[in-house]
Amino acid sequence: MDSKKIRKKWTSRDVTLLVMAGLSVVFLLIFAYAPMFGVLLAFKDGDYKLNLLGAITDAPWCGFDNFKAFLLDPNFADAIVNTICLNLIMLVINFPAPILFALLINEVRSARYKKTVQTITNFPHFISWVIFGGLVIALTDMSTGIFNPIMNALGLSSEENPVNLQGAEYFWATVIITSLIKGVGWGSIVYIAAISGLDADMYEAAELDGANRLQKAIYITLPGIAPTITVFLLLSISGMLSNSFDQFYILQNSLNLSRSEVLTTYIYKTGLSQRRYSYASALGLFNSVVSVVLLILSNFISKRATGRGIF
Amino acid sequence: MKKKVYTFDVVNYILLGLFALITLYPFIYVIAGSFNDGMDYSGGGVWLVPRKVTLANYKVVFSDNGFWKAFGLTIGVTILGTFGALAVTSAVAYAISRKELRFRNFFQIFNLITMFFGGGLIPYFLIIVSLGLYDTFWVYIFPSLYSVYNMIIMQSFFKSIPEEMREAAVMDGAGELRIWLSIYLPLSKPVLATVGLWLATGFWNSYFSTMAYTRAGDLSTLQYFLMRMIKEAKVDTGGLDPSLIEQTTSTTISFAAIVIATLPILFVYPFIQKYFSKGIMIGSLKG
Repeated sequence: MDSKKIRKKWTSRDVTLLVMAGLSVVFLLIFAYAPMFGVLLAFKDGDYKLNLLGAITDAPWCGFDNFKAFLLDPNFADAIVNTICLNLIMLVINFPAPILFALLINEVRSARYKKTVQTITNFPHFISWVIFGGLVIALTDMSTGIFNPIMNALGLSSEENPVNLQGAEYFWATVIITSLIKGVGWGSIVYIAAISGLDADMYEAAELDGANRLQKAIYITLPGIAPTITVFLLLSISGMLSNSFDQFYILQNSLNLSRSEVLTTYIYKTGLSQRRYSYASALGLFNSVVSVVLLILSNFISKRATGRGIF
Repeated sequence: MKKKVYTFDVVNYILLGLFALITLYPFIYVIAGSFNDGMDYSGGGVWLVPRKVTLANYKVVFSDNGFWKAFGLTIGVTILGTFGALAVTSAVAYAISRKELRFRNFFQIFNLITMFFGGGLIPYFLIIVSLGLYDTFWVYIFPSLYSVYNMIIMQSFFKSIPEEMREAAVMDGAGELRIWLSIYLPLSKPVLATVGLWLATGFWNSYFSTMAYTRAGDLSTLQYFLMRMIKEAKVDTGGLDPSLIEQTTSTTISFAAIVIATLPILFVYPFIQKYFSKGIMIGSLKG
């Protein structure tokens, strides 16, 4: 910064670099910043308007009416309860799972076995939720899937009285388990990378002191990857309201809607299917504001508690 | 002591192996179903291998014009989108990685802000519509040409390239575009491959843009086409031999389509495996 005080003359190099970096400004202005101003629609009476741009310039202001409308909407109440409950459960189960998986993988001595397990468990990450959801729907089908026979064999259900795994009462379990299968392998990569970066001397020293593998995992590995865990924990807390749209949209059906409607799918439906643009914009704004507040809050708490944060 | 460690190893191997098998199983199930007679499948019990083997499901998918159209469109989007995005993103990443860049702080902050704040779905939709991108092929390409996250990963890789390489080129009179194209890009193959494969799978797997930003007719992407098959049992069997249709159901046909749509990912997967851990290392250590 200090050497910059003496302004050098502009060269063609400066211009080229500026144009290259400027490309990002063009794209972000159009696809990131312009939509930020679009949130004004949340304070307008612009529902069902054919001309969206007209809705934002011409429609009358209506203050917080759209916000009041969704707060009183029972469908919104359903969506927000599902979103929050599921995210809290997933924070407890799905967040630590990749860390545990990384620790277990780290204990495998056979390089070949390690590679095979990782190759298989990373694969679903690259498959779309359309396909993966299609597999889940097939496997949980009442007459042709594999789960009903398994549950019958275990005595959890019977042929005469079969359970519908695609119904509302099993939806959360389905979401949690399928997220684990699709995400644990890939999610563990950052932790495995972090573990491989830890100092080997510490492990040797611990061995000399007679530490066993569990003790080494708890007293060396976990504290060693704590910074990585903190970053991902903060990011997943701030993303609490933004469930993966795809997973929910694909697995949703009319029977499980009471448990499967989350904020992201609700915004899509009210906004783009029902054309309630202002109403859905208000929901979207609510979502973004809560996410940012959650991020700042959790970052603050983390800094106080552990001295670590992402900013 | 020794015995205890041994038990843990056995349990660990079994647990991890079991998890891998559970992950693998759905794919085996769907492959078995795709090669099975439709009506026979409906009776249940086809769990590991096809019971009444037939290729009818695949024949129906292969003769479906809509499927091929969606397949072709998705290949086009994936190739154009991936190379376009690599070009734009690496250009920005190169410029921002240079200390000589004027207003560098501004560019960095301008980029970072968008990682934390967004307008949401409806305002974004509004921009797509007012730009005239709605229901055009370009709605798949333009908005995806630049991503801040990929830019950060690329520029941290660029920073690791020795400064001497650039200085030598400057002495030879090479301009910045030239240095970016003929020095930085060839040296950055690992990161370009990593980000390129992420981008490609992203384009290949995308269905939401079709659903939200097009009327979905001629512009259906493959995944959107599949979603209609899976969720709405929408299968086109018009003009096909009735004896062929008899051997299928919309479910087993959708299985065949799922298998075909997964194959391209399976083919590039070894390359993803080779490069992605490197990419993640770059991202996590320096990002």
